[in-house]
Amino acid sequence: MLEIGRPKGSATVNDHSVAPPKSTSRSGRLSLMIDLERCIGCKSCEVACKQEHGLGPGEYRNRVLWLGDLDGAGLDFLTVACQHCERPMCLRACPVNPKAISKDAETGVVSVAEDRCTGCGECVVACPYGAMGYDAKDHHSVKCDLCSDRRSEGLTIACASVCPGHAITFGRREEHLAYAEAEGRTVRDHDSFLIGPATVYLDRIQKPGRAELSALETRSTPALIDDPESRRQIGEEAIAFPYRYPRQDRLPDRVEPGGCNICFNCCTTKYHFKGDRLVRITGNDEDPLLKGKVCPKSQLSVQLYASKDRLTQPLKRTGARGSNQFEPISWEQALDEIADKLMALRDKHGPETLAVFSGTRTGIITNKGYVQPFTQLWGTPNIESTEPYCSAGKNLAFRLTQGYGGCGNSYTETDLGSAELYVYIGDNQAETRPVYFGQINDWRIKHGARMVVVDPRFTVTASKADTWLALRPGTDLALGLALAHHIFSQGLHDKRFCENWVLGWERWRDFILEREYTPEWAAPITDIPADQIKDLAERMARANGCVIFGSRGVNQHTYSTQINRVLMFLAAITGNWGRKGGAYMNMSATIPIDASVPMERRAKMTRPAVRKCPTGWLKAMTEHRPYPITALIACNNPLSNWPNQEGAREALRALDLLVYIDLFPTETSAFADYVLPAATGIEKGEMGRANDDRRIVWIDRMIDPPGNAKPDDWIWTELGKRLGFSDVMQEKYKDPAVLWDEKLIDNDHMRGITQARLHSIPWRWVRFPSASEDAPEIETLYEEGTTAVGAPPGHRFPTESGKLEFWTEALEAKFAALGLSALPEFYGERETLHDTAYLESLDGDDTEGVLSPFDKEPAATSRARIVQPGNDTPGFRLREQGFDTELVTGRPSAPQFHSWTHYAWQAQEMWPDLFVQIHPEKARSLGIEDGERVRVETSHGVAEARAWVYAGIRKNAVFMPIGWGENQPFHPWKSVNFLTDSDQRDPLSGQTNLKALLCRVRRI
Amino acid sequence: MMLGFLAAYFLVLPFLPPAMRAAGHPIVYLFGVAGSLLLLVAGAFVLVKRTGRGGSPVGWFMAHVGCGTLGFALVVIHTTGKLERPPALLLLNLLALMALGVWARVWGARRMADTFGTKLKGFGPANEATRTALKTILASKGELLARLDPEAREATFSVTLAHLLSKPSASLAYLRLVRAEESLMGVRQSVGPAQAWWRALHLALAAVFVGGLLIHVLLVTFFAGYVAGNRPIDWWHVTAWSF
Repeated sequence: MLEIGRPKGSATVNDHSVAPPKSTSRSGRLSLMIDLERCIGCKSCEVACKQEHGLGPGEYRNRVLWLGDLDGAGLDFLTVACQHCERPMCLRACPVNPKAISKDAETGVVSVAEDRCTGCGECVVACPYGAMGYDAKDHHSVKCDLCSDRRSEGLTIACASVCPGHAITFGRREEHLAYAEAEGRTVRDHDSFLIGPATVYLDRIQKPGRAELSALETRSTPALIDDPESRRQIGEEAIAFPYRYPRQDRLPDRVEPGGCNICFNCCTTKYHFKGDRLVRITGNDEDPLLKGKVCPKSQLSVQLYASKDRLTQPLKRTGARGSNQFEPISWEQALDEIADKLMALRDKHGPETLAVFSGTRTGIITNKGYVQPFTQLWGTPNIESTEPYCSAGKNLAFRLTQGYGGCGNSYTETDLGSAELYVYIGDNQAETRPVYFGQINDWRIKHGARMVVVDPRFTVTASKADTWLALRPGTDLALGLALAHHIFSQGLHDKRFCENWVLGWERWRDFILEREYTPEWAAPITDIPADQIKDLAERMARANGCVIFGSRGVNQHTYSTQINRVLMFLAAITGNWGRKGGAYMNMSATIPIDASVPMERRAKMTRPAVRKCPTGWLKAMTEHRPYPITALIACNNPLSNWPNQEGAREALRALDLLVYIDLFPTETSAFADYVLPAATGIEKGEMGRANDDRRIVWIDRMIDPPGNAKPDDWIWTELGKRLGFSDVMQEKYKDPAVLWDEKLIDNDHMRGITQARLHSIPWRWVRFPSASEDAPEIETLYEEGTTAVGAPPGHRFPTESGKLEFWTEALEAKFAALGLSALPEFYGERETLHDTAYLESLDGDDTEGVLSPFDKEPAATSRARIVQPGNDTPGFRLREQGFDTELVTGRPSAPQFHSWTHYAWQAQEMWPDLFVQIHPEKARSLGIEDGERVRVETSHGVAEARAWVYAGIRKNAVFMPIGWGENQPFHPWKSVNFLTDSDQRDPLSGQTNLKALLCRVRRI
Repeated sequence: MMLGFLAAYFLVLPFLPPAMRAAGHPIVYLFGVAGSLLLLVAGAFVLVKRTGRGGSPVGWFMAHVGCGTLGFALVVIHTTGKLERPPALLLLNLLALMALGVWARVWGARRMADTFGTKLKGFGPANEATRTALKTILASKGELLARLDPEAREATFSVTLAHLLSKPSASLAYLRLVRAEESLMGVRQSVGPAQAWWRALHLALAAVFVGGLLIHVLLVTFFAGYVAGNRPIDWWHVTAWSF
């Protein structure tokens, strides 16, 4: 029953102040319970709320505040929403009679009747929690009513339904308090003014060294997050359906299960339609694993599908390259002309003159099922994805050590959830895979597991950890070796596992001991005290289940393969491999789908790939050495994501043909000869991204792409048709579901994951490997007593020997061919404040180099040598020039992913500007205030960003995220890759160093 | 738009017939009357909103804006551009009133929206001294409310116009307690001064305008001689008293 004006229900204040009237029944009081230990600041709840209620920019019913600490490393999150007070200040302040704000006597829910509100804003002023929103366009208050519409339909509230951190619970207040008591959790007393807030905040679990979350007003909220001034740049024209539409227009009449195709968490989702219109994306609450939890990105896809910035028509360049001048043309004309130009270039330079860059946005099926066969039929080895910038090193390391690229464990409570220790090294999982981290963090709290984070930054992941080790950038290999040294020297290794299941471990042990890679040796290199290294080593060895997480922080180095191998070795020697609760995880597992063309049908290639990294092609594009690359088909955004942007731009200018296939006009499209509008996700039909958990998530095609945009699969098939590939790239395979069943899964890992099986499951995923349709899923691969899929009997691991391989003569020979050893030796990066050994490339990209012994297809790479530090190191020379700060680049916060999400207005509302995280001491010395515009310069280029003054970063380091570009619609900034270098690469895998460069920062 | 109208009016004013440049001319006089009535309709919003009589408050708000804008335009015509005389103060007041309304709807509304999530103090640890003082106020409010409106609950009660008219003393006393409570909580200090006080200023300016308008009407109707001074009285009036 709603009360308006003069309520007949109770009026009580909080428990510890004035006793409630005797007549009051509080049993039905509804509220949120927000667990500050579980909240990871991802803002998924904000996105869910705006979706559910159709709110536009600046309209809030909830918001997650980031609270930094200027005095020490501290980071907390506070979810602000209406507290549904016993004595609501907003209600009492409302001058309208009868009130526009009411309080339900039974549930205690305070709501606003927007059609009675005159927008005077008195309630906004009155609310002491700042939890009253306001619609500045239609002029009325906006507030959380605990999703009364959803509750009336029997649904739970939107924010709680998606929360990846399991931090928001909806229910009766009494139940929340009982839960808190049962779990021994402290309920935060935030009733400073005796108004009886209903929301139950479970305070952070206090631990030694953790900043106390007491006086919130002393904590710093970064100026750039949710910045109102930046928000003004999101014009009304950007707000497309279903936002700011009446609820009845947004009520679905049909729901289809599917998945998100953006990031490596690969969440299962439900797509809600009203007629043919997509009205909402939610998590799939039927999924027994993810339980409907999704991060902001999945939900923000609604804004990508409806974006007015989408490319909708093929375009042909009319002005100078880079001038962004085009004319619309038909698909026929575009594809005919592209085919003619490609053939002309092939006649002149050979088929290898075409390079193809695909990757993240393109999708796995397009890459494996269309692009790869196309290049095999055409005859070019120069096909690359974003792997050399993301994961090439770990893929190679997994392949060399385990025989297959990916971890065999699962995100289940009985597997990864059963670990006693989680060690994150260069993996900010809380922001890169928030739903997986939400599970890990939940299990950590429930089971009392420990968490250690090794990172130059106090990341969101670190904010939940027991220990943060602020490693110097570029020195994780030293840490890994020292951990191994301590384990071996103390005899803490799992001898039984080593002897039975590891080849070459003794040789590695002897090597490490002989080199004296002790914790004392590593301490000055890593800047982590030796006793902390020893403590971590002992904990890893003694834990009954330790999961080591590595990610881009360890991958994006010139020693990418070796650090990944060392971390794998650490997992293995502590027995944390092929068991539940013990693993080395490094993001996504390689998906074993393949539509390779039979050898006899492939075009003959006479030259190897120029390099196994797209930025290794630059000399081939500009100088035509070692041979010319004159045509590029880019299905991604190289002019944002390639390191060395100046060089990349010069290279793209030099091309004879640049074809760009994407969703939005970007920095790259401005340089293209032809721009082809593509489709994505449910416009296309595809599988979700490769992810940590070996889940194959299927996404049906549900809607048409906008305008004349076409799925990539259609584009490649049509182009193939014009080049004579129709016998292989058949018309019927334009439907990826047909290609899936007929071509892609014809192997022991995938044969059981048919379209029929995927569609029989309400959450649309199956874990691989699965050899037949009725084969049960395998929770943990490589357990003792099992045989690896596709391996001879008794082979526990899919290597040739059936064991994990640290060192073999064959391996040593391969490494030696490139000047390195299969026994990982320490080296760091060349641009650091503390000189260490570094890698020097011996063969420039303009030379033929040597054939890589690690690639199946012929590909050139460079030989290298490890250079010991002397008096005249590259770092020394740069420091002499004033480059006095270490630059770390990486993924931004959870709502952003590469450049895609920069076209979703709400992602830009939450995280608008490119930023540079800088320590308060450093900022003070440079006269930089939080939020100010600064200039960052490396020896490779210059970029600008806004300062985020934050004590959770090493004093001499700064961090800048990827993803921004100068042609983006809302907040254009030059890409951080103007600062990075294309030449600092791992010769084994082609992986590029993006994590340790010297820079200088200046106030503008 | 209103500024455009004003500019246009003052541009064409010199070219209008002399009669249209005299505030007392019957047509121009009627402009003043009509404008004043429209402004009173705009002012009625204050009463409708507080009494619950008269229909949708949002509809009345639209009328408030529409009638206020049109009334202002008519009053401007009524002034005939003679801004050196005392009634021009009323126009100035009206202009300030409108400017404040426009500010509130355009810039103030943005500030309202931007306020969400900016009040961290409420989530911090409680100040026991504040709590003790608040308890005292709550007790006093409870006692007073028993006399003012025995059926009401303090938790959701606010003083209405009906209370003020029926029990002015108790109502004012209660309002003082409300102000004291808000002061302890730092309600107005929790936002910027413009956001905190614009509405109070808007109401004050409106009250001044209504008062000024009454005086103006009384003077021109009954004290036409005083108003005219040495000039002829060319408007409708009842008496031509002078001081």
